[in-house]
Amino acid sequence: MKDDEGEAPTAEAAEEVAGPQTTGPPEDDLDLDNLSKKKKKKKKKKLVLDGGEDEDEAHEAADPDLDLPEIPDDIDLESFGKKKKKKKQPLNLDELDDALPDEKEDDEVDLESFGKKKKKKKRAGELGGDDMKDDDKENVEANPWVDSDRDYTYDELLQRVFNIMRDKNPELVAGEKKRFVMRPPQVVRVGTKKTAFVNFTEIAKMLHRQPKHLLAFLFAELGTVGAIDGNNQLIIKGRFQQKHIENVLRRYIKEYVTCHTCRSPDTILDKETRLFFLQCMSCHSRCSVQTIKTGFQAITSKRSKTKQ
Amino acid sequence: MSIENLKGFDPFADAAKGDEESVQDGLVHIRIQQRNGRKTLTTIQGLSAEYDLKKIVRACKKEFACNGTVVEHPEYGEVLQLQGDQRTKICDWLVKCGLVKADQLKVHGF
Ligand SMILES: [Zn+2]
Repeated sequence: MKDDEGEAPTAEAAEEVAGPQTTGPPEDDLDLDNLSKKKKKKKKKKLVLDGGEDEDEAHEAADPDLDLPEIPDDIDLESFGKKKKKKKQPLNLDELDDALPDEKEDDEVDLESFGKKKKKKKRAGELGGDDMKDDDKENVEANPWVDSDRDYTYDELLQRVFNIMRDKNPELVAGEKKRFVMRPPQVVRVGTKKTAFVNFTEIAKMLHRQPKHLLAFLFAELGTVGAIDGNNQLIIKGRFQQKHIENVLRRYIKEYVTCHTCRSPDTILDKETRLFFLQCMSCHSRCSVQTIKTGFQAITSKRSKTKQ
Repeated sequence: MSIENLKGFDPFADAAKGDEESVQDGLVHIRIQQRNGRKTLTTIQGLSAEYDLKKIVRACKKEFACNGTVVEHPEYGEVLQLQGDQRTKICDWLVKCGLVKADQLKVHGF
């Protein structure tokens, strides 16, 4: 993935090696002239000044944090298909200002839309290409503090560690990691006092968790009771909307599905002497998770009824 | 000979209090429960037994304009019950009054 995308910009790469020097002066000027101006503005200006081929430069100049969303996958878990509507917008944006690194774009890519995914991958590929250029650059200016007596700054170190990370894990940059796609819960009302969670079993299966465990969590969080009916639906006492169930599911995933260290969903939940442990298959970390406790339950039915 | 430094202050005094059932995991659990139809109930479990919950509930009732009561539970100690979904309000208020630290709050529900 990285290779075939990386190929394309190599021609540019040659130019890019010389790039820092050529783009250097205007940047410096900018710094001197508008010290007060923020980084973002600088980036835009730079684009105008340098024209198309330095788009990649802009990527690099971007704050390292902007690349962060590439690494964790949890965004996907949290989206539940809700962002379908929003998708159109970023697509256009993508075309219009591809040059501006946009965190939002990363958020959008979770669903089954293959077209969009490709696009994203391409973007990632470009980034990958950047990194190859980065290597060359690195020799020149990776450790700007080396030649001087001054201490390195936090930002420089951060940049350095990100460069190393990307270097060693091309798949992180390329977004090759398996995406975890969450389907939204189907929630329908049953009569006036009950709610059916139609695809409950399906979702439990998708999360690779025992329905029993998920069920316990749902009931504890919602402060209610219920049962699975003949159609594998979960019938919950009380009125709940899809967004309510989504919220609870999101918390369940955060606590019991995604790894607490690397946020990979590739985990196993196993029980050991009354405690549940979350074992990650990606980074092999292992940590205990909260036990599901119902806690205090207020008596909500009429007292006369309970007495009978 | 005795070591003067260790006399006045017992560093484990707090820990002993932490064992009390009302405190449990040291968290204050704020839950919501549905009752007949659209009505809801907010419960606050785990407030330190050092506080006078009757006073707290009186202040809450006034502050949030809702009814409320204190329920004694054999396992969970004194639990505050407020009518309606007061979860965000009570969280803010408890922190604002300095009764609970923000990281001790655990909000449940949808
Ligand atoms: Zn992990």
